[in-house]
Amino acid sequence: MGEKRKIPIKAGYFTIPENASDPPRLLGSRCQRCGEHYFPRRAICAKASCLAEDLVDVELGPQGTLYSFTFVHMPLFGSSNLEHMDGYGVGQIDLPEGPRVQLPLAGRKEDYYIGQPLIAELDKLREEGDADVVIVRFRPVAEGGA
Amino acid sequence: MRDVAVLGVGMYRFGMWDVPNAVMAREAGLAALRDANLSFRDVQAAYVGHIFAPVMSAVRVMKEFGLTGLPVQHVENASATGSAAFREACLQVAAGTYDVVMVLGFDKMTTMIQQSTQGTAPENMEDAILPAAFFALWATRRMYERGMKPEHLAKIAAKNWNNGALNPMAQRQPQEPMTPERVLRSRMVAWPLTTMMSCPMGDGAACAIVGRADLAKRLRPDRPVVRVVASALQTEKYAPGHLFMGPIVGPAQMTIDTAAQAYNEASVGPEDLDLVQVHDAFAIEELEYYELLGLCKPGEAEKCIENGDFELGGRIPVSTDGGLIARGHPGGPTGLAQIWETTLQLRGEAGKRQIEGARIGLCHMMGGGSVCVIHILQRD
Repeated sequence: MGEKRKIPIKAGYFTIPENASDPPRLLGSRCQRCGEHYFPRRAICAKASCLAEDLVDVELGPQGTLYSFTFVHMPLFGSSNLEHMDGYGVGQIDLPEGPRVQLPLAGRKEDYYIGQPLIAELDKLREEGDADVVIVRFRPVAEGGA
Repeated sequence: MRDVAVLGVGMYRFGMWDVPNAVMAREAGLAALRDANLSFRDVQAAYVGHIFAPVMSAVRVMKEFGLTGLPVQHVENASATGSAAFREACLQVAAGTYDVVMVLGFDKMTTMIQQSTQGTAPENMEDAILPAAFFALWATRRMYERGMKPEHLAKIAAKNWNNGALNPMAQRQPQEPMTPERVLRSRMVAWPLTTMMSCPMGDGAACAIVGRADLAKRLRPDRPVVRVVASALQTEKYAPGHLFMGPIVGPAQMTIDTAAQAYNEASVGPEDLDLVQVHDAFAIEELEYYELLGLCKPGEAEKCIENGDFELGGRIPVSTDGGLIARGHPGGPTGLAQIWETTLQLRGEAGKRQIEGARIGLCHMMGGGSVCVIHILQRD
């Protein structure tokens, strides 16, 4: 297939599944004292009533619900992917574990509505040597389930 | 804050200028000193607001005024930089540390942006998304929850453009009355926000001299004393749905809480305000702050916009000098431009945009979505 090696835009934010058809998972934290989940990872619980220092790493997603979205009419900053040249979507997505994340969306504005189920995927930003630099974005869950 | 007054204000007009920061800052500072009837010899300390500053730029720029040995502190809090510097000066006067303090804000957003985007390739997840998107997300959610229409945002922006036309220090001064239709027709940045609903890049400087309130009367017996009756600054509190990655628009609760602190400190309520300046970098912000500052009930912003409540001559005028959208938003000086406008209004010196009999004004700024600063000024 000639699948290129994928490297994340920044390490520690999401997984790169071995099987290219599997969705990536977001890398977050769970507070062992109060149970709150966070993305991205953090060392201390942010709740003023908790502030515990016993957070553990967890994988979040890959599905979520669209809270809000927009479509930016400018090229995706730093991308050399032609798909990003005439603009890109951005969504706020509520993950089932609780955190709200803010990441790019695939496709066009017309593809989206608030409350919609979405799923994470990897999106190529640019090539670096023999590898593709990738970021996580979300797209609508296909009709009839993920 | 009962004993702190604004002794003088000055500005270097916001715009796209081929003028160094030091020159804009000096001109704004000298204007404020003249306005206060003071000389730089009288200034006991300076707080300088400047974003993306090279090392020691506050101290170096202050040398423009002369070398008097005064203490100089650099304050930076993104868009709220000038407001945060103003707060530090007020607290020092209130504490009795100094009697006369200069607050000086300046920036060249044009060169600042070039510096921060050199190299272009994003190194972080958050770098991949442009700031305009974050405010657009707020707008989309508002349309879903409250039935807001892009026309409401266009009406706010047109109001601010038209207010800017009455302000000689504004960056945008349209020659003909601005209409919501024209705002809607301008280029789309991040749906539903158009370029004319967004603040411009620009350069500029602004200065306020704050000091003991009894000095105000002595220095300028010819005009009312403008007191700083509240200074509140808060950062975010955690709430479910909080965004941790990248720039954010600021949790609604932060403005509600900071406003409550300021109203309490000043012993006034939103119904007592005669005018308000807000962080309207994008029109959706101004709409949200109407409700978060208590200028109208939650869910009623759209109706009040249609009524013209926040226009000059309306129930409570907002962004009277054009706001960030028309007066401009160079960064460091923006919060001080709000103090400039409010001070002139309370003295009755705001020219064609003067609000008859204005006594109490509120200034609100957000910094990087994570800091909220509110000051309330009151005329004796």
